[in-house]
Amino acid sequence: MGKATIIPFGPQHPVLPEPLHLDLVVEDETVIDCIPQIGFVHRGLEKLVETRDYNQFIYVAERICGICAMGHSLGYAETVEELMGVEVPRRAEYLRVIWHELSRIHSHLLWLGLAADAFGFESMFMHCWRLRERVLDIFEKTTGGRVILSVVSVGGVVRDMDRATLTWICDVLDGIKSDYDAIVKTLLTDTSIKNRTVGVGAISREKAIELSMVGPFARASDVAYDVRMFGRGAYGDLADFQPIVDAQGDCYARVKVRCLEVVQSIEIIKELASKIPEGDIAVKVKGSPVAGAQASSVLEQPRGECYYYARGNGSKYLERMRMRTPTSQNLAGMTVALKGCDLADVNMIILTIDPCISCTER
Amino acid sequence: MGSFKLGGMTFGSLFKKPETLLYPAQVKTPYPHQKGHIANKVDECILCGMCARVCPCHCITVDKKAHTWEIDPFSCILCGSCVRSCPTTCLLMEPASTAVAARKHVIDLVVPDKKAASEA
Amino acid sequence: MEFTQGFAPLEDAQVHEEAQRRRADGWRYVQMLAVNRDEGVDVIYSYMKDGALENLVVEAVPHDGKLESISDVYLESFVCENEIHDLFGIGFSGLAIDFLGNFYRLSTEKPMTIISPEQLARREKEAKAKAAAAAKAAAQTQEQNAEDMEAKLAAMDPEKAAKVRAAMEAKAAKEKKQAEADLEAKLAGMDPEKAAKVRAAMEAKAAKAEKEVR
Repeated sequence: MGKATIIPFGPQHPVLPEPLHLDLVVEDETVIDCIPQIGFVHRGLEKLVETRDYNQFIYVAERICGICAMGHSLGYAETVEELMGVEVPRRAEYLRVIWHELSRIHSHLLWLGLAADAFGFESMFMHCWRLRERVLDIFEKTTGGRVILSVVSVGGVVRDMDRATLTWICDVLDGIKSDYDAIVKTLLTDTSIKNRTVGVGAISREKAIELSMVGPFARASDVAYDVRMFGRGAYGDLADFQPIVDAQGDCYARVKVRCLEVVQSIEIIKELASKIPEGDIAVKVKGSPVAGAQASSVLEQPRGECYYYARGNGSKYLERMRMRTPTSQNLAGMTVALKGCDLADVNMIILTIDPCISCTER
Repeated sequence: MGSFKLGGMTFGSLFKKPETLLYPAQVKTPYPHQKGHIANKVDECILCGMCARVCPCHCITVDKKAHTWEIDPFSCILCGSCVRSCPTTCLLMEPASTAVAARKHVIDLVVPDKKAASEA
Repeated sequence: MEFTQGFAPLEDAQVHEEAQRRRADGWRYVQMLAVNRDEGVDVIYSYMKDGALENLVVEAVPHDGKLESISDVYLESFVCENEIHDLFGIGFSGLAIDFLGNFYRLSTEKPMTIISPEQLARREKEAKAKAAAAAKAAAQTQEQNAEDMEAKLAAMDPEKAAKVRAAMEAKAAKEKKQAEADLEAKLAGMDPEKAAKVRAAMEAKAAKAEKEVR
């Protein structure tokens, strides 16, 4: 038994662009305890709701995080609609889900690229980002922006897509899928990757439920929870939706779940594109939320369940807006997953959990 | 086995058209409805100030007395709220993006005085 | 599975017990949040089970008050509890991982409890609007009263009616005189230039009113 040493990890670390700091208590080469610390990028965006009215705040919500931009604007809009009792047109719901699923593909591809880079698999990193660029191209053509889309408004969406565009999107996704299948097959069958991920940072199903984990992190531990299965919005019209789960709960399972979710998202988009109804894309929202009225909402973001809360004060400005992001829910799970692992595996475990610190701190 | 497939894909890239552009030399043509910058057809502008009111970053200033319409393109986030709220459709979202600049500047447009013109 | 949501009140002393009960019943901890109000800070606990999202509201915890931490039941809550402590100043006893107010690096203490100038201005404006609405309502009732009086007078015998009317007119004249006197007193307090302006404006208004009557 060696002496316990504390090794700091982050806030600047090559494997993670986000400012996450960990104090790793290490004995020999084994991590025996870990204390996460955040708080380097707190911007007070929730306080900004006092200076922007509910239509303007959607652009602030979008800027909480670059990768989850679409998800945050969608979740915010859904909550305010719930607060004011607004019924969104069906076509708008379909379009929102199509964009949201596209953003899931782009988020997972970005993550896959970073993971491959952390393995030292440079060519796969290039391929993943090449495919991601095609998704960003779809965004650029349909919404006018690459990452910050500004396409959702309270009461609907601001841009429509015609049939030709929808067919084009399906064609592009088919093109992505053939390349993507080859990448995933390589990733999941490669021996060196298996050596680094199988059995590393495992979390049992009981532990995952106990720690109330969400998103792919929980689903890799066999917790079949995905907000999409509630069938809210256009998800209700899907013929069949089953959350993707894996029983192992280790790093390999988490990689696998994310890889399969991209394929699932492609299927969802194709199905919705064929079913999309005609009609309006937005309703006019008038008036302001009643004083003291409150509403909450949950949404499945690329990283897991995100909770939104809004309270009105009778004016156009909301009294309080709050989002609890998936990463803040997974921080405790991360500390547990890191306990007992090898020091060299720390970055692999953190990367497969895919923390988004900017979201967590807002 | 999988590695060979990926190797094939990577090898194939040698003979394909490059996926990237040599940026300053080649510039990507923007899509028709891309968000580039806000333009104002001053002849149709009635200086109602609707755009300044809905702007989430307060980057538009409308001065009714001086007949000027001002936008700060470096704090504009291109959300398009102003374009959607404009009653005369004189505001446009142009696809060409604002050029890189060494110093921030404000675009100040003078709106012709329709009343004075008709009187004269 | 259907998604449902609801809000229910919760006593501040029951926070920990409730968490234990929910844990035993198989509920999942979703989140905790705080809302700043003048009376205190509302703390909301959310739990979910089978698509039912329940938000339990602990109303008006006094500023700088203390609650029992639930992080021994649900470890996850340490993130939100530390956050609420740093941003709202609500203390939590028995935190599993306590950052002692260093969770976020903040330049001001309890930033979410500060009432911003925008908020203050809005509140003042609202109060003014409310006062104006009340004044308008009062004016309406007064008008209503006058109309009622007219109707009453019409029903009365003419002689009596004339008397009452004369009395009312006298009263009105008296009130007007009083108002004028008040105005004069006010004007005397003002600087002469402003007073002249106000006087001119009043005259113009009176002239306009007369014109309209004609």
